[in-house]
Amino acid sequence: MISLLSIKKNIMKKFIYLLVLSLNFTLFAQGQLPNTTLKTLLGANTTLTEITANNDLIVVSLWATWCVPCKNELDAVAEVYDDWVAETGVKYYAVSIDDSRTAKRVRPMVNGKGWEFEILLDENSDLKRAFGVSTVPYTIIIKSGEIVYKHTGYTPGYEDELYEKIVALKG
Amino acid sequence: MNKQILTVLVFFTSVAIHSQKTYEKSSFDKIKERLNVGFESNSQWYLNDDAFDESPEGERLRANSYLRIDYQISERFSSGFQLESYMPEPLLNYSKLFDKEIGLGTFYLNYRTKKLDITLGYYYAQFGSGLILRAWEDRALGANNALRGGKIVYDPTNYLRLTALYGKQRKGFEVSDSNIFGFETQFDIADALQIERLNTFQLGLSYVGKQETYTSEMTNPQATIKVPEMVNAFGAQLDLEYKNIYTNFEYIYKSENARLNNFIPNIVSFSEKALFDGNAITWNIGYSQKGFGIGSTFRRLENMRFFSERSALNLNNNPTSQMSLNYVPALTKQHDYTLANIYLYQSQPGLVIENYEFPLVKSGEIGESLDLFYNIKKGTLFGGKYGTKLSLNWSYWANLKSDYTDPSGTPYFVGDDLTYETKLLNFDNKLYSEINAELRKKWTPKLKSIFTYINFSYNQGFLESKGADSFVNAWIGIAESTYKFQGGKSVRLELQHLSTNDDARNWAGGTIEYFFNSKLGVYLNDSYNYEDSKNTENTKIHFFNLGGSYTKGSTRIGINYGRQRGGLLCVGGVCRPVSKNTGVTLNFVSTF
Repeated sequence: MISLLSIKKNIMKKFIYLLVLSLNFTLFAQGQLPNTTLKTLLGANTTLTEITANNDLIVVSLWATWCVPCKNELDAVAEVYDDWVAETGVKYYAVSIDDSRTAKRVRPMVNGKGWEFEILLDENSDLKRAFGVSTVPYTIIIKSGEIVYKHTGYTPGYEDELYEKIVALKG
Repeated sequence: MNKQILTVLVFFTSVAIHSQKTYEKSSFDKIKERLNVGFESNSQWYLNDDAFDESPEGERLRANSYLRIDYQISERFSSGFQLESYMPEPLLNYSKLFDKEIGLGTFYLNYRTKKLDITLGYYYAQFGSGLILRAWEDRALGANNALRGGKIVYDPTNYLRLTALYGKQRKGFEVSDSNIFGFETQFDIADALQIERLNTFQLGLSYVGKQETYTSEMTNPQATIKVPEMVNAFGAQLDLEYKNIYTNFEYIYKSENARLNNFIPNIVSFSEKALFDGNAITWNIGYSQKGFGIGSTFRRLENMRFFSERSALNLNNNPTSQMSLNYVPALTKQHDYTLANIYLYQSQPGLVIENYEFPLVKSGEIGESLDLFYNIKKGTLFGGKYGTKLSLNWSYWANLKSDYTDPSGTPYFVGDDLTYETKLLNFDNKLYSEINAELRKKWTPKLKSIFTYINFSYNQGFLESKGADSFVNAWIGIAESTYKFQGGKSVRLELQHLSTNDDARNWAGGTIEYFFNSKLGVYLNDSYNYEDSKNTENTKIHFFNLGGSYTKGSTRIGINYGRQRGGLLCVGGVCRPVSKNTGVTLNFVSTF
């Protein structure tokens, strides 16, 4: 009985240790852009660093063809995207994490839906992993090459909140 | 605490201290900028449920947790690791290989310049579309088949990329008992030869080799072949795009290897009378312009299961497909709705030969999937004020038609010299077909709907190994609407119905979800098999979920109380079996 109790105690200790460790990092962690290779729809290689070198303010959204909230988000953004660009000059990059099962669906879907923002491919989830993301959609705002905002999930109307953030950052 | 973990932590602390010295001003901020942390914890408290005959086995409270830390040491060097904890045991139906309270899952050191990318330690990789090699992680599936060793990616020019790798594959917290070698070259012909008329013209060539020792278990001299230690796979891929048309072709050849004897399900042994090679063909072609897209995928797989350990081929012992080297998912449309996930097609890439009284040969699959996307313009009859988005999918999959020859006529293992031949293009042995239509409609700025119709035919006899072919023919109708109120409030209602006279007959389901704002939401859903039938396993049991989630920035907490139907849990076309269970789950995800 005692040994069982001590095992449980031991487990708890380790769990608390892990939690404290992760919370510790919360206090001072903030992401730098990962150097992960992404593919354009034409098969060329690029990285977020390259992209941000030419664009001061960008939004990166991780999505997949099989993810319903992701498609809701992108449909909603597509409707107002012209206004967003005209008012703030922001560029929106939708990075598909579709793997080879569904990656071939990306191009016809993007065109079929008439989405006009940029599309990138992360076929083996390298960027997703580098960001530590476990569920999509996942949205990031990058200002002057630095990640200034992160958000996980999509709820109807969230695109308005995102736009407010963009306007505030545009300053 | 594990020694390895301690070592890594000490390393990182020293790195942190070192960087503090290097950057005197605001060193704290510098570290902050260079650090990426992701934490995820999924826990479940399993409860007794009167609706089920059996109560849950073993530990009631289980959790899978992952802490991943990446650090940019300097401009060229970065490093990271992942701690994993399965305490006190992994969630039900996860591989026993992960049965460890806390351990170092992966770690790496990376050096990168514009032309060179070198990784030591654990790394993930994919060649082509993954048919020949894919090392990846999916936590929901309990899959992590990273390789441990070294990988070099070198870009001598902007139209050539060379990748070479060596490693041993991850197997739980250990590595598997084989050596993996890989080489890939990607050549951008359009860029190299300045062919401006083509948007894309690329060639990829790849090689993956696995070296694994083999000890013959046979005591008699009947073995007529030598089981090879080396399995070599070669691949070629061509990508072409001209104006609005794209096409892509990939071929893989996998050299001969021994096949399993299936004489006792859980015992691993190999036939030493005949060897079998494998191959894969995929061909995609599509056309798209603004508002219209069409894409077709053809794939044929023959004996294409490829594992780092031969014994992993026995899926009775390895239900979660640990140690797989390649990626051969089902290419049917991936569904998000609960009732559409009851009869799921799973790909059939492997070779299964059972030679009892009547030999049974399954050597692979062949099939086709077609997608169409169309945006009906605003202001037209069907487009309405806001336009209507339509997507259609059709797919058909069949078992490869195989004719066997059995020269000795000896069944079972020792003298079994059965071989087979397959037709290149034969679609007769149907396993699954599906027609799927989805319509997205915005009625007003506040109200949107999605309508889905699915009609499928599922060969339950074959796919669930229940003997002769027998089909479940069913159709599913799903309607969902979302209404947005002021201030980020919204409500979503979803109704589903599955209609069939086969198997367990009809199901009804529904979801209601309410968001108080973009941060806080609650939901209730239910699936109910309401008719009497021969299959009473799930009849008249409410499979419900009640839960909520809170999101703030990149942190999300979700809690759920519910009863899950046993079956398959699939992510990206790869599935793991899950048993029926009732309980409370808590998910916590955060990235810093």
